[in-house]
Amino acid sequence: MKNRLRELRDKRAWSQGDLAEQLEVSRQTVNAIETGRYDPSLPLAFRIARLFRMTIESIFEPAKE
Amino acid sequence: MPRSRHADPRRKVMLLMLVFVGLMFFLWPHVRTTTSLPFKTLLTLLPIVPMGAALWLIATDIVRSDEMQQRAHLIAMSLASGITAAVTFIAGFLCAAGVLALGGDDLMFVLPLISVSYAASNWMVSRRYGNVGC
Repeated sequence: MKNRLRELRDKRAWSQGDLAEQLEVSRQTVNAIETGRYDPSLPLAFRIARLFRMTIESIFEPAKE
Repeated sequence: MPRSRHADPRRKVMLLMLVFVGLMFFLWPHVRTTTSLPFKTLLTLLPIVPMGAALWLIATDIVRSDEMQQRAHLIAMSLASGITAAVTFIAGFLCAAGVLALGGDDLMFVLPLISVSYAASNWMVSRRYGNVGC
Protein backbone atom coordinates (compact mmCIF):
# COMPACT_ATOMS: atom_id res chain seq x y z
CA MET A 1 0.00 0.00 0.00
CA LYS A 2 1.29 3.44 -0.92
CA ASN A 3 1.07 6.29 1.56
CA ARG A 4 1.94 9.96 2.00
CA LEU A 5 3.20 9.64 5.54
CA ARG A 6 6.74 10.77 4.84
CA GLU A 7 5.56 13.76 2.82
CA LEU A 8 3.11 14.82 5.57
CA ARG A 9 5.75 14.34 8.25
CA ASP A 10 8.33 16.33 6.29
CA LYS A 11 5.86 19.22 5.86
CA ARG A 12 5.61 19.48 9.63
CA ALA A 13 9.36 19.03 10.08
CA TRP A 14 8.80 16.09 12.37
CA SER A 15 11.35 13.35 12.78
CA GLN A 16 10.25 9.72 12.66
CA GLY A 17 10.74 9.68 16.41
CA ASP A 18 8.42 12.69 16.87
CA LEU A 19 5.71 11.03 14.81
CA ALA A 20 6.20 7.71 16.60
CA GLU A 21 5.82 9.45 19.95
CA GLN A 22 2.53 11.04 18.91
CA LEU A 23 1.19 7.79 17.46
CA GLU A 24 2.42 5.77 20.45
CA VAL A 25 4.33 3.33 18.27
CA SER A 26 8.04 2.68 17.79
CA ARG A 27 10.18 4.66 15.36
CA GLN A 28 10.82 1.39 13.54
CA THR A 29 7.09 1.04 12.87
CA VAL A 30 6.86 4.55 11.43
CA ASN A 31 9.83 3.76 9.19
CA ALA A 32 8.27 0.46 8.06
CA ILE A 33 4.97 2.19 7.20
CA GLU A 34 6.74 4.99 5.31
CA THR A 35 8.77 2.56 3.24
CA GLY A 36 5.68 0.45 2.52
CA ARG A 37 7.04 -2.62 4.29
CA TYR A 38 4.21 -2.65 6.81
CA ASP A 39 0.54 -1.77 6.40
CA PRO A 40 -0.91 -0.34 9.61
CA SER A 41 -3.99 -1.74 11.28
CA LEU A 42 -7.25 0.18 10.87
CA PRO A 43 -7.05 1.70 14.40
CA LEU A 44 -3.50 2.93 13.70
CA ALA A 45 -4.54 4.25 10.27
CA PHE A 46 -7.33 6.21 12.00
CA ARG A 47 -4.85 7.60 14.54
CA ILE A 48 -2.60 8.73 11.68
CA ALA A 49 -5.52 10.30 9.83
CA ARG A 50 -6.73 12.12 12.95
CA LEU A 51 -3.24 13.39 13.70
CA PHE A 52 -2.93 14.95 10.25
CA ARG A 53 -6.62 15.98 10.20
CA MET A 54 -7.16 14.10 6.98
CA THR A 55 -9.12 11.10 5.79
CA ILE A 56 -7.51 7.67 5.66
CA GLU A 57 -7.96 7.41 1.88
CA SER A 58 -6.19 10.72 1.35
CA ILE A 59 -3.12 9.33 3.13
CA PHE A 60 -3.20 5.67 2.10
CA GLU A 61 -3.72 4.40 -1.39
CA PRO A 62 -4.02 0.73 -2.35
CA ALA A 63 -1.28 -0.56 -4.63
CA LYS A 64 -2.32 -1.05 -8.25
CA GLU A 65 -2.78 -4.71 -9.16
CA MET B 1 3.12 1.75 23.38
CA PRO B 2 6.38 2.87 21.83
CA ARG B 3 9.36 0.72 22.58
CA SER B 4 11.47 3.78 23.33
CA ARG B 5 9.40 4.50 26.44
CA HIS B 6 10.45 1.23 28.01
CA ALA B 7 13.84 0.05 29.10
CA ASP B 8 15.31 -2.46 26.70
CA PRO B 9 15.14 -5.79 28.55
CA ARG B 10 17.91 -7.45 26.54
CA ARG B 11 20.67 -6.61 29.04
CA LYS B 12 18.60 -7.91 31.94
CA VAL B 13 17.74 -11.05 29.98
CA MET B 14 21.41 -11.61 29.16
CA LEU B 15 22.33 -11.11 32.83
CA LEU B 16 19.66 -13.59 33.93
CA MET B 17 20.87 -16.11 31.36
CA LEU B 18 24.42 -15.71 32.69
CA VAL B 19 23.09 -16.35 36.22
CA PHE B 20 21.30 -19.43 34.85
CA VAL B 21 24.46 -20.78 33.21
CA GLY B 22 26.50 -19.98 36.35
CA LEU B 23 24.02 -21.81 38.55
CA MET B 24 24.04 -24.79 36.21
CA PHE B 25 27.84 -25.01 36.31
CA PHE B 26 27.96 -24.47 40.08
CA LEU B 27 25.04 -26.67 41.11
CA TRP B 28 25.13 -29.53 38.63
CA PRO B 29 28.14 -31.35 40.18
CA HIS B 30 26.36 -31.22 43.57
CA VAL B 31 23.11 -32.53 42.07
CA ARG B 32 24.88 -35.68 40.98
CA THR B 33 26.45 -36.33 44.38
CA THR B 34 23.65 -35.24 46.74
CA THR B 35 21.76 -38.17 48.23
CA SER B 36 18.91 -36.21 49.88
CA LEU B 37 15.99 -36.21 47.43
CA PRO B 38 14.41 -32.87 48.56
CA PHE B 39 17.81 -31.16 48.40
CA LYS B 40 18.55 -32.73 45.02
CA THR B 41 15.16 -31.48 43.74
CA LEU B 42 15.84 -27.98 45.09
CA LEU B 43 19.30 -27.82 43.50
CA THR B 44 17.91 -29.10 40.20
CA LEU B 45 15.05 -26.61 40.05
CA LEU B 46 16.95 -23.55 41.34
CA PRO B 47 18.25 -22.51 37.88
CA ILE B 48 14.64 -22.31 36.72
CA VAL B 49 14.23 -19.10 38.78
CA PRO B 50 16.48 -16.88 36.58
CA MET B 51 15.18 -18.65 33.47
CA GLY B 52 11.58 -17.95 34.50
CA ALA B 53 12.44 -14.31 35.24
CA ALA B 54 14.02 -13.96 31.79
CA LEU B 55 10.95 -15.45 30.09
CA TRP B 56 8.74 -13.08 32.12
CA LEU B 57 10.80 -10.07 30.99
CA ILE B 58 10.55 -11.17 27.35
CA ALA B 59 6.79 -11.74 27.63
CA THR B 60 6.30 -8.32 29.27
CA ASP B 61 8.35 -6.65 26.53
CA ILE B 62 6.23 -8.30 23.84
CA VAL B 63 3.00 -7.18 25.50
CA ARG B 64 4.31 -3.59 25.69
CA SER B 65 5.50 -3.50 22.08
CA ASP B 66 3.44 -1.99 19.28
CA GLU B 67 1.37 -3.78 16.64
CA MET B 68 4.14 -4.28 14.08
CA GLN B 69 6.58 -5.55 16.69
CA GLN B 70 3.94 -7.91 18.08
CA ARG B 71 3.33 -9.22 14.59
CA ALA B 72 7.07 -9.81 14.14
CA HIS B 73 7.19 -11.64 17.49
CA LEU B 74 4.16 -13.73 16.54
CA ILE B 75 5.64 -14.77 13.18
CA ALA B 76 8.99 -15.51 14.84
CA MET B 77 7.31 -17.59 17.56
CA SER B 78 5.34 -19.53 14.95
CA LEU B 79 8.51 -20.26 12.96
CA ALA B 80 10.42 -21.23 16.11
CA SER B 81 7.62 -23.56 17.21
CA GLY B 82 7.56 -25.17 13.78
CA ILE B 83 11.34 -25.65 13.69
CA THR B 84 11.39 -27.09 17.22
CA ALA B 85 8.45 -29.38 16.48
CA ALA B 86 10.10 -30.64 13.28
CA VAL B 87 13.48 -31.26 14.94
CA THR B 88 12.00 -33.07 17.96
CA PHE B 89 9.65 -35.06 15.70
CA ILE B 90 12.56 -36.22 13.52
CA ALA B 91 14.69 -36.97 16.60
CA GLY B 92 11.79 -38.96 18.10
CA PHE B 93 11.45 -41.04 14.94
CA LEU B 94 15.20 -41.68 14.79
CA CYS B 95 15.17 -42.66 18.46
CA ALA B 96 12.20 -45.02 17.95
CA ALA B 97 14.00 -46.61 15.01
CA GLY B 98 17.09 -47.14 17.13
CA VAL B 99 19.24 -44.88 14.98
CA LEU B 100 19.67 -42.27 17.71
CA ALA B 101 19.98 -42.89 21.44
CA LEU B 102 18.09 -40.20 23.33
CA GLY B 103 17.45 -39.95 27.04
CA GLY B 104 15.44 -37.75 29.36
CA ASP B 105 18.44 -35.39 29.65
CA ASP B 106 17.95 -34.43 26.02
CA LEU B 107 14.65 -32.71 26.89
CA MET B 108 16.82 -29.91 28.32
CA PHE B 109 17.74 -28.97 24.76
CA VAL B 110 14.17 -28.11 23.77
CA LEU B 111 14.17 -24.65 25.38
CA PRO B 112 17.60 -23.64 23.98
CA LEU B 113 16.49 -24.91 20.56
CA ILE B 114 13.28 -22.90 20.58
CA SER B 115 15.19 -19.85 21.92
CA VAL B 116 17.82 -19.98 19.19
CA SER B 117 15.28 -20.58 16.42
CA TYR B 118 13.10 -17.78 17.84
CA ALA B 119 16.05 -15.34 17.89
CA ALA B 120 16.97 -16.28 14.29
CA SER B 121 13.35 -16.03 13.12
CA ASN B 122 12.84 -12.69 14.87
CA TRP B 123 15.99 -11.30 13.24
CA MET B 124 14.80 -12.53 9.84
CA VAL B 125 11.28 -11.11 10.24
CA SER B 126 12.63 -7.79 11.56
CA ARG B 127 14.83 -7.49 8.49
CA ARG B 128 11.76 -8.05 6.32
CA TYR B 129 10.16 -5.02 7.97
CA GLY B 130 13.36 -3.07 7.51
CA ASN B 131 14.28 -3.00 11.18
CA VAL B 132 17.09 -5.17 12.46
CA GLY B 133 16.61 -5.78 16.18
CA CYS B 134 12.86 -5.17 16.20
